[in-house]
Amino acid sequence: MKKKIVAMIAAGAMIASMVPAMTAHADGHTVAMICDSSISDGGWGMACYNAMIDAAEKCGWETMYSDSIAQSAYYDTIVSYCDLGVDMIYAPGNQYTDAVLQAAEEYPDIAFALLNGGADTPEKAANGNVSSLLPNAQQIGWIAGALAGLMTESGTIAFIGGMELDTTLAKYAGYGEAAAFVAEENGKSVTLLDPVYSGDFSASDKGLEFAKAMMDQGADVFFGDASAVDSGARQAIDEANEAAGEIKIYDIAQPADLLGQNDCVIGSQVTDNSVLIELSMKAVEDGSFGGETLYGTLQNGVLSAGELNKDIVPEDVQAAYADYIQQMVDGTFMGGVETEAE
Amino acid sequence: MGSFITNLILASIRMASPLIFLSLAELYSQRAGLVNIGIEGIAAIGSLTGFMVSLISGNPLLGVLAGALAGILVNMIFAYATITLCAEQIVYGMAINIFAPALAAFAYRVYFGSGSELVQANLMVTLKGLLGIKSDNFLVNLFLDQTPMVYFAYILVIVTAIYFRRTKSGLNYKAVGEYPKAAATIGINVIGVKYLSCVICGALAGIGGAYLTTCYSKTYVDGNVAGRGFIALAAVIFGRWSSGGVLIACLFFGFCDALQIRLQLINNTLPYQFFQMIPYVATIVVLALIGAKKAGPKASGQPYRKEER
Repeated sequence: MKKKIVAMIAAGAMIASMVPAMTAHADGHTVAMICDSSISDGGWGMACYNAMIDAAEKCGWETMYSDSIAQSAYYDTIVSYCDLGVDMIYAPGNQYTDAVLQAAEEYPDIAFALLNGGADTPEKAANGNVSSLLPNAQQIGWIAGALAGLMTESGTIAFIGGMELDTTLAKYAGYGEAAAFVAEENGKSVTLLDPVYSGDFSASDKGLEFAKAMMDQGADVFFGDASAVDSGARQAIDEANEAAGEIKIYDIAQPADLLGQNDCVIGSQVTDNSVLIELSMKAVEDGSFGGETLYGTLQNGVLSAGELNKDIVPEDVQAAYADYIQQMVDGTFMGGVETEAE
Repeated sequence: MGSFITNLILASIRMASPLIFLSLAELYSQRAGLVNIGIEGIAAIGSLTGFMVSLISGNPLLGVLAGALAGILVNMIFAYATITLCAEQIVYGMAINIFAPALAAFAYRVYFGSGSELVQANLMVTLKGLLGIKSDNFLVNLFLDQTPMVYFAYILVIVTAIYFRRTKSGLNYKAVGEYPKAAATIGINVIGVKYLSCVICGALAGIGGAYLTTCYSKTYVDGNVAGRGFIALAAVIFGRWSSGGVLIACLFFGFCDALQIRLQLINNTLPYQFFQMIPYVATIVVLALIGAKKAGPKASGQPYRKEER
């Protein structure tokens, strides 16, 4: 009897917990975001969530989200929102591509906006209801790399990734080539350590351990693409600076302007994904959504360099960095190399 | 090479410390005949509670205590279901693993709202910091650059070894896990010991979780226990159900994890996934080698019914 009572209470609690989700659909348009990192990770998840909120406010949409979901739950979570009748699924990451394509085939009336999806992903969608929102990963790497090249004193810089995604590899490559170019122009040489991957975007402790190991190898400027893992790395860098009594090891944050979050942050690479999401929402409203890749670049204002830490970055470096960013905008950086979105 | 090894040792100690608490939690549970696979979930609750209390009070030690209390409370569900209702231990352990992390995520959202700001709490100060020592010597870092919780973990290993081997109470405790009916006939309160084991297990698992957010990382992220609760299960088997063995197992797993991080850095030919496999492959290999000869409590996993003949 006791077992039956416990089972009934548990079942009742489960049903009660599902009621809000089942009744959450609003009368207007609704967008649902899925994310494998937390929206309060101080990095990727936070920036992507804020971008959705900003765009939704401008367009008058309702928002829903599920964060910290496991890889095995990508598809199920997307389908759950589709069953609730949302208008658009917003999946911020290349890792959701397979789940998005599968769900898009089963739900032809729902729009799927895949941030950092491949340029060819929309073509793979059977119903033409998938769009890629693609911030230029090479330019992202450049923005961080130029600052790293200017600021490194040891000549060794580091990069921490979450997963080995195409966009992560492109950021790593851009970071390295920009740092090498800028350093050489300023009479220095730079060694970029091999990329390391935590395997997920939640393991802040792994970020801490990676950063300690990379500092042991002489790295003095860090950039990452790993959400909460980056937060752990910044903690390790702050601890090392505190032990040394001065800030000599730096971090470049992304994708939001995180100046002030940690002492070691000297600047940020900022990606304003809200512009791309807003374009997607408007396309849904006028019925033109799908089958295209919306690029985010320095030129169209989606990408930018965040504010620099003026206490740490010398004035001449600030000026030089601003000049390099302008070269990137003008398309003359590194002799006018064409980027993937051009 | 020298700094590679010394830093590897320091990282191994850091990464082994939370595992020691979680493994001892499982050891105390299994020694009373309760296989609790819900350590992962209990640690998740302990991690969040420790973080929130540390953040609010500004005192990480209070966070650890709150983590222990939260761990006990959650583990009482397991205790009631498996001891009083004689329900299947594996099923309820799994239920804790599903329920507790979800409860932690829910509590975090309720308290902090759906805001996206990164919240960071203060960490417990190391002995080196407390004493104001500036030296970067390896031995100083190894023995002094640790939080009080690390010393507590090692003291707990010694106390546990003495308790189970040298005290009457410890032998009675072990008897409950070996042959509860015989233990009951000599006047041991089997149900009481089993409940006590759940209190100890919950407290230590909660402390293990709280360690992550009060001594290791300044932030709380859903999923930050990251499988350590399951590694703890393996560590107890690897350690042959003794506290000394458990300590060696935890240090071994900590070493493997620290090693894979460093090997990623010095190797650019093999895929990084290969190195990430190391702790798990090591677990499988070690369990295959060690697990062949059973040395665990005889009544482990079996419900105890007073009236049953």
